[in-house]
Amino acid sequence: MLQITDLVKSYNNGEPVLKGLNLATDERRLTAIIGSSGAGKSTLLRCINRLVTADSGRIELDGINILELHGKRLQDTRRQIGMIFQAYNLVDRLTVMENVLSGRLGYVGTLRGVLRRFPQSDIDRAYALLKRVGLSQYVNTRCDSLSGGERQRVGVARALMQNPRILLADEPTASLDPKTSERIMELISRITDELDLPVLINLHNVPQARDYADRIVGLRYGVIVFDGGPQDLTDDWLEKIYAGHEDDLKKQMKVASEDGANE
Amino acid sequence: MSDSTVHYRWKRPHFIETPYIRYGLLALAAIYLIFALSTLRVNPQRIVEGIPRAINMFRGAVPPDFESRGGLIVRGFIESIQMTLIATAAGVALSVPIAFMAARNIAILPIYAVGRMIVVVARSLHPVVLGVLFVSAVGFGAFAGILTLIMYTLGFVGKLLAEAIEEIKYGQVEGVRATGAGFFATLAYAVFPQVLPRLIGLSIYQLDINLRASAIVGLVGAGGIGATLNTAFGRYDYATASAILLVMIGIILVAEGISGRLRGLTK
Amino acid sequence: MSTHSTTSSNKAVGDHFRWARYSTKERVARSLGYLVVGVLLYWSLSTVDVFWPWVWDAPAQIGDMMFRMFPVSFVQLNPILFALVESINIAVLGTIVAVFLALPIAYLGAQTVTPSKLTLWLARFIIVATRSVDTLIWALVFVAIIGPGPVAGILAIAFRSIGFLSKLLAEAIEEIDWGPVEAMQAAGASRAHVITYAIVPQVVPSFWAITILRWDINIRESTVLGLVGAGGIGLIFQGAIDMFRWNTVSLVLIVIVLVVFAGELVTGVVRRKLM
Repeated sequence: MLQITDLVKSYNNGEPVLKGLNLATDERRLTAIIGSSGAGKSTLLRCINRLVTADSGRIELDGINILELHGKRLQDTRRQIGMIFQAYNLVDRLTVMENVLSGRLGYVGTLRGVLRRFPQSDIDRAYALLKRVGLSQYVNTRCDSLSGGERQRVGVARALMQNPRILLADEPTASLDPKTSERIMELISRITDELDLPVLINLHNVPQARDYADRIVGLRYGVIVFDGGPQDLTDDWLEKIYAGHEDDLKKQMKVASEDGANE
Repeated sequence: MSDSTVHYRWKRPHFIETPYIRYGLLALAAIYLIFALSTLRVNPQRIVEGIPRAINMFRGAVPPDFESRGGLIVRGFIESIQMTLIATAAGVALSVPIAFMAARNIAILPIYAVGRMIVVVARSLHPVVLGVLFVSAVGFGAFAGILTLIMYTLGFVGKLLAEAIEEIKYGQVEGVRATGAGFFATLAYAVFPQVLPRLIGLSIYQLDINLRASAIVGLVGAGGIGATLNTAFGRYDYATASAILLVMIGIILVAEGISGRLRGLTK
Repeated sequence: MSTHSTTSSNKAVGDHFRWARYSTKERVARSLGYLVVGVLLYWSLSTVDVFWPWVWDAPAQIGDMMFRMFPVSFVQLNPILFALVESINIAVLGTIVAVFLALPIAYLGAQTVTPSKLTLWLARFIIVATRSVDTLIWALVFVAIIGPGPVAGILAIAFRSIGFLSKLLAEAIEEIDWGPVEAMQAAGASRAHVITYAIVPQVVPSFWAITILRWDINIRESTVLGLVGAGGIGLIFQGAIDMFRWNTVSLVLIVIVLVVFAGELVTGVVRRKLM
């Protein structure tokens, strides 16, 4: 379904952040991408829905190379890719409902979106999703009065409103405290399981990757150096993935031990 | 997971919840607009005539004529600049005591009232109005313009400086008072240093504002390039007028650039 | 640049310390600054075209004028009030027109969202041109084009306000949080939707603050437009001055001050309500 071939990206003519990366996902599973900061995790994810335009390579969703699209066709492809952000990226001054409904903007006409006249099916689905993520009581609350965990749940609901074929998550729990972080990971894992939705999730938290992922991809300096199941991720491999960034690894493992202490 | 048999209704929440107030306000606004528009004495014929007139104006204004009245233009601008410099210096100097008078935390009530009144009146009256008044009092020319700009400065800098004085950290004043310093010494050591950076910034900003104002008080005879502009319009000499306008835009931009840099330096 | 520097100015000389408030470098800079200011002032004062004997006469003249302004004469109260309403209308209508025109220009003038360099340059040009020409001068221009009357005043107010509003709105747009914009783009929303959902809500508070501020300024500006024939109370003011009716002049002044003061009260209340 998602096929990435020879992806190269560098910023400002510097060293390439992604150096000929190859990745394919066919299965409906949760794939965790781990690596030290600067390894290119965020860039990779943002290249997939072209928030960042890669220099060369192919990124094919069901055969269509997103790097060749423009305008309406690009929008049509993007609406099939849902994304959850570390900073939630909600419109704080709008209500929860408006933020969730904004996930359908790729499907409704201009006037309908501006006037907030979404089709009834969208509204029903929004209510259902809000119930599923546990935010039904906040339908008309402004997002800036919600906590971090609640905001991320709105983010999840918004992404799922798109009815996407694949879900991207860029360190969705990095801004959350350990307990909330676990809850959100559990939510994402369970919902995508129920919906049979493939997920690509950047994680800064190795034990979480081990707990929730069906497949783990290790990124180092813009190249994939590990691709396997959590059971294959030995400490040896971890050292290799994080070689040269040992304190990063320590931090990402330490986050876990705090989680464990709070259970 | 989705309850497809249950339907929900949702409408975007309004800015003003109560319908009466919301529609009431809208109705008031509509009534006002209709009333206001109806009072406009619109003469459609004049407006239609205006289009060829506007075209004529533009044809006359391009290319702008810097030479035939060049000397007058230069003298006008120099006078505007002189007026600006003198008035800003004197105005800022006068604003300091008046700002102290208009600061609630420094002045006692009667003085506060007087100070506030001076600032309010100086701010409410447009520099052109002040210009007309001063011209009537002391005659045409740059002097009236300088007095006008001084009052204008008092209103602006006076008010903002008074606000800055009201926002000082009182702890510093207490500290100096505790050493036994007198009233004015306290002002000098504890209050003034806190507001000085703000004052410098305001003065530089006011130079800019006064430069713009100096260009227009001339329209009523208070000196500066405004008078030259008025005469040009009166003589239908649009080429000179456009030359003046272009130079004015240029000078204002340059002045803004300089003042921006200066303010950055003194931060 | 702080006004105090303690490091380089505390020196130990023998058993005594020297303390100076400013370092040598700062002192030179300050002296230079004073020198420049002094030279400019000296040049201005010596070459300005002012008849100095009249300057000493000024306080007496001003006092005389003020003496003639009281007691205030209410004879012209009605026409003054009518003209005042016209001035307020000019300010309101002019601001409204300006808002509609300023929105697209602000959008094009914001570096982060403008579609092309050409549109950015065009918008910036419009902003600079309309900002640098004062309202009264615009009034001169429009009176020359469409003749005297309140419509010229409305256009003058509108044109000047466009520059003011667009510049500040463009800055507000450039300062928004870009995250929500990314999120809307990632969801496949069209440009119009991205603007409506991600940009507009973030800019709304600034929009109201800026518009109310400009409305306040416009109330003040509209009072003088009549002096060049663009409608409002300025006309009566000019007339009273020409006829030396000082007691009427004072009434006009009082009315103007009251209106401007009232306008500031209203804007203060509205601003607090909206924040």
